[in-house]
Amino acid sequence: MIEVAGLCKKYGNFEALKSISFSVEKGTVFGFIGRNGAGKTTTMNILTGLLKFDKGEILIKSKHFLKNRRELSKLIGYLPESPAFYDYMNSYEYLSFIGRIISSDNKNFETNIKGLLEKVGLKKGGKRRIGGYSRGMKQRLALAVAFMNNPEILFLDEPASALDPEGRMEMLGLIEDLKDEKITIFLSTHILNDAEKVCDRICIIDEGKILVTENLSNLYKTHIQPIFDIEFEDDPEDKVDQLKNLGWVENIKIERRRVSIYVRDLDTAKKEILKELSNLNTGVTSYQIRKSTLEDIFLRMVGKNEII
Amino acid sequence: MKSFKAYFKKEVIEAIRTNKYLILFTGTVLWALVNPLMLKLLPVIMRNYVTPELADLFTYFNRDNAFTNFLGDLFEMGTLFIVFTLMGLIAGEISGKKLTFPYSRGASPAGMVLAKYIHYLITINILIMIAFITNYFYVCCIFTDGILSISIVLKSALLYMLYYCTLLSILIFFSSIFKRSILAGITTLVLGYGLSIFNQFKTIRFYLPNYLLYKAGDLLNVFDSSLIKTAIISACIIILLVTLTIYRMKKIDIS
Repeated sequence: MIEVAGLCKKYGNFEALKSISFSVEKGTVFGFIGRNGAGKTTTMNILTGLLKFDKGEILIKSKHFLKNRRELSKLIGYLPESPAFYDYMNSYEYLSFIGRIISSDNKNFETNIKGLLEKVGLKKGGKRRIGGYSRGMKQRLALAVAFMNNPEILFLDEPASALDPEGRMEMLGLIEDLKDEKITIFLSTHILNDAEKVCDRICIIDEGKILVTENLSNLYKTHIQPIFDIEFEDDPEDKVDQLKNLGWVENIKIERRRVSIYVRDLDTAKKEILKELSNLNTGVTSYQIRKSTLEDIFLRMVGKNEII
Repeated sequence: MKSFKAYFKKEVIEAIRTNKYLILFTGTVLWALVNPLMLKLLPVIMRNYVTPELADLFTYFNRDNAFTNFLGDLFEMGTLFIVFTLMGLIAGEISGKKLTFPYSRGASPAGMVLAKYIHYLITINILIMIAFITNYFYVCCIFTDGILSISIVLKSALLYMLYYCTLLSILIFFSSIFKRSILAGITTLVLGYGLSIFNQFKTIRFYLPNYLLYKAGDLLNVFDSSLIKTAIISACIIILLVTLTIYRMKKIDIS
């Protein structure tokens, strides 16, 4: 659905995107994650035609994006991180304004607006001026704008950042529903827990470079490192150092009585670890295999995890 | 055409809700009402502050003087009102990131620029026409003597309308270039007022739009052949600047 190859963008001397390439399949949720300033919003602005780029190629539905920008824009819905509206308008008027830009069929979008406002939970505030909306309400209206004209591709930049917990859950539910409708979603988020819940494919970007693009299940298989967290009754001191010599142990981190053992081979570790711990002749108060998350992978990828 | 219609309607809503129509009305039509009244009252007011001999200098105003006085005031005050009201026409949209949604949904920059330009062109022209006719009737009621007729007033109004069409194209162009509305406003004002100085130079004044204002005040001979050059040049400026604004809005990064 979306193919990006060798995309470069410079702001003066600053290289915001350093030849990034990725592809997004139709009907999937593509999670685009990275730190602040990593290049997420720049990529989204380029893909929605708001920003020019210096080098590279973008294909949407196998069509050259630059050559068919106006036509392809009709297929795209965009929810920016900080949506801006005309404060003197109400939701109905603003959606009508966008509707007129997209379609000449007035009747079609007029009926669509009511449904959209209901879908995003703004039916009650629809007649109020946008200037009086809370940040969450504006986010909901922005979502309604993104949904207008049933886009085939949705770009969502931090869609849940301004929402309350209930709103966030609704948003995730909505994304799940859209996935069922075979809408392609390009989701940029800081909330890795959300990405883990809804994304099929994850792309990690840092300092303008793509670090990894992988299916979520493959990402867990290839990038998650099993960790055993063990708490001893007394300070194990140097006793655990001998574990480092074992072939299936990659690293050990000791924090007073708590020891984290990073293993290479989970199956062997499961069989051997209890034997090795009993050999240490020190009381163990707790023992568990830590369930690594997308956050662990992300932190390790962007070089923030000092342990590994 | 879709973007043009959408933006035209948006501009109408915006002008009503943000009182732009009211402000422009105050700067043009209200001025047409107040100006003759002030001229009539001036001698009475002055009598309390200056010697009777000096005050007598203000007593004789005929229709022609009153009308040309209105023209001068309209240029000075009306321009100020129009420029400061409309200076954010495009700059405000860019700096406020208001173009993100329309552009991401395929809005046409040409449709947007033309809708904004044509909407305010119609608004200003209607207000100028109302202002001139109002002033004429008021002047005729309050003052006597002079050669002023409705045909002279309408001819003058047409020249003012063409001048403000040109000024609006300058304003919309600067508004697309400068990120800050105030810079666009001040640059347009400097240009608008500054070019009037050249009306003193007979050799070059025909080539500048401010000559339209000079001729509007020349009640004995409002329309003559010297205006052809000025009208053509003004039209060229309008076409060029509106085209450049559209080009700029096509190339601009919205983020």
